[in-house]
Amino acid sequence: MLSRTDARAEGSKIPAHRLRLTDFDLTLPALGLLVLFFVVPVVILLARSVTEPAPGLGNYAELLGSSTYLRIFANTFIVSGLVTVVSLLIGFPVAWALAIMPSRLASVVFAILLLSMWTNLLARTYAWMVLLQRTGVINKLLIGMGLIDKPLPLVNNLTGVTIGMTYIMLPFIILPLYGVIRKIDPAILQAAALCGANRWQALVRVLLPLAMPGMAAGALMVFVMSLGYFVTPALLGGTANMMLAELIAQFVQSLVNWGMGGAAALVLLVVTLALYAVQLRFFGTDRMGGR
Amino acid sequence: MKKILAMAAAAATIATAMPAMAADLVFSSWGGTTQDAQKIAWAEKFTEKTGINVLQDGPTDYGKLKAMVEAGSVTWDVVDVEGDYAAQAGKNGLLEKLDFSVIDKTKLDPRFVTDYSVGSFYYSFVIGCNKDAVDACPKSWADLFDIEKFPGKRAFYKWSAPGVIEAALLADGVPADKLYPLDLDRAFKKLDTIKPEIIWWTGGAQSQQLLASAEAPFGSLWNGRMTALAQSGINVETSWEQNITAADSLVVPKGAKNKEAAMQFIALATSPQAQADLAKATGYAPINLDSPKVMDPELAKTLPDAQTATQVNADMNYWAENRDAIGERWYAWQAE
Repeated sequence: MLSRTDARAEGSKIPAHRLRLTDFDLTLPALGLLVLFFVVPVVILLARSVTEPAPGLGNYAELLGSSTYLRIFANTFIVSGLVTVVSLLIGFPVAWALAIMPSRLASVVFAILLLSMWTNLLARTYAWMVLLQRTGVINKLLIGMGLIDKPLPLVNNLTGVTIGMTYIMLPFIILPLYGVIRKIDPAILQAAALCGANRWQALVRVLLPLAMPGMAAGALMVFVMSLGYFVTPALLGGTANMMLAELIAQFVQSLVNWGMGGAAALVLLVVTLALYAVQLRFFGTDRMGGR
Repeated sequence: MKKILAMAAAAATIATAMPAMAADLVFSSWGGTTQDAQKIAWAEKFTEKTGINVLQDGPTDYGKLKAMVEAGSVTWDVVDVEGDYAAQAGKNGLLEKLDFSVIDKTKLDPRFVTDYSVGSFYYSFVIGCNKDAVDACPKSWADLFDIEKFPGKRAFYKWSAPGVIEAALLADGVPADKLYPLDLDRAFKKLDTIKPEIIWWTGGAQSQQLLASAEAPFGSLWNGRMTALAQSGINVETSWEQNITAADSLVVPKGAKNKEAAMQFIALATSPQAQADLAKATGYAPINLDSPKVMDPELAKTLPDAQTATQVNADMNYWAENRDAIGERWYAWQAE
């Protein structure tokens, strides 16, 4: 019954009770906690979606049959997509700059990025509110400079949500992209130039394809995270661009209609898992960090 | 594996034994300046008198309350909830009946007393205005709903609760005594006329911020928040015309662990002096009819109590009956 590693261990007098990386019994308490405090409550909530107020699929019929709720689903995807695109547009140059700047400077920029990630989410969101409102710093500045004469509507709408969420999501795009770009051999671009590629061609046909794994991994992560976002859309968005997470909170906390809350949560869960499956299929878990 | 199970069992035993050991009373409210005031005016006095420590928790969350009662693990003993919710939750079996041999209800404002709840404090939705930001302030609900005469953003309470629908109907000319049953079609039609100009506030602090920054120079606010703004030196005006009253209620969730102490707490919290102290700190009105007698007359004048001439009472029983239906329609309309 001795496996190969066991046999080797006998020979080198390693104690019989030793730790192997494949030992899973030590992870059992953590798994138990996860099942007890995460899986079980989720299953109970989902079960309510087909039992309350009456057994059956009534909640799903109501959810998918109402134009209001369908618009909220659409909104959720539009906002998440918009945030992903804007994050990529801003994140790519930043990641590129980080990859080529002197390491001392890069570590300062990283510190700024991480500090913003560690600051309380609510505080950051309120800060945006103060900056973006009609009487806020940005509008006052623009009016003072004579660029506009009426304040721009930057908050309580799609613009506000996109700005606030992009700011929060940026590190999740920049970090994997940075990892990928750093590993690109500068000689490859040199080779492209030698083969006659101008700057634009080298960017589009060499650098971007090479950075694609990092972009795709980051973009998918941002998209999936955005789908379930609550605080930022609730504070910076108007009611007309409500997202799914807000709808769920409304069902659970305010209307105390857990059947509908569970149904909406299941829809969100299924979409998220499907996207996660796509991510695993194309990138695998080991490439999530941009490796 | 056996060891792990034994450890888990031990941990579970400790976890369930913990709340039973502590005889502390847990009070949940809505946070912010109001709960701070409740702590000073009620909880600290209660601890002085009975020696029972009061733990503050919150914010109140109806989903959480229901979950606690259903799971039979109720960690809140006294909860500050909205009046319409109290009436509904009592009917749905989520609350303990109050013990009126401990709580003296003879002096409590009967508008806010049910078998399951007594008023916590009451407030009015009034028309607030930042005088520095506009040339003229809206005086009536009709003014606040008139974007020709009063252009600009207006702040309204976001959640489905008594207040905004009533305001819309009053603005549309429905007489105060004909408000109920609410004509929702008419209310939403009226609300549609100002919808793009509405900024929704989700909590009292946000309503103050909107008005003070003139992000929304006017709107419908809780009167206590207007008092606080005026005290902080901002040039505001409050119109009490057709102020719409609603109340918070104190309730005891079904299966609360310290039921007897909870009744004593509510008895103290609704006593004339405790209600007067809270009113002084918050600008909300006492629900004990004897409280104004122990208050500074100057202060008593600023309370909704002094504004009964054109006051409109939101019908809590109507709301309790129709809370779910109105709520669904309200949120669907908002999301349109």
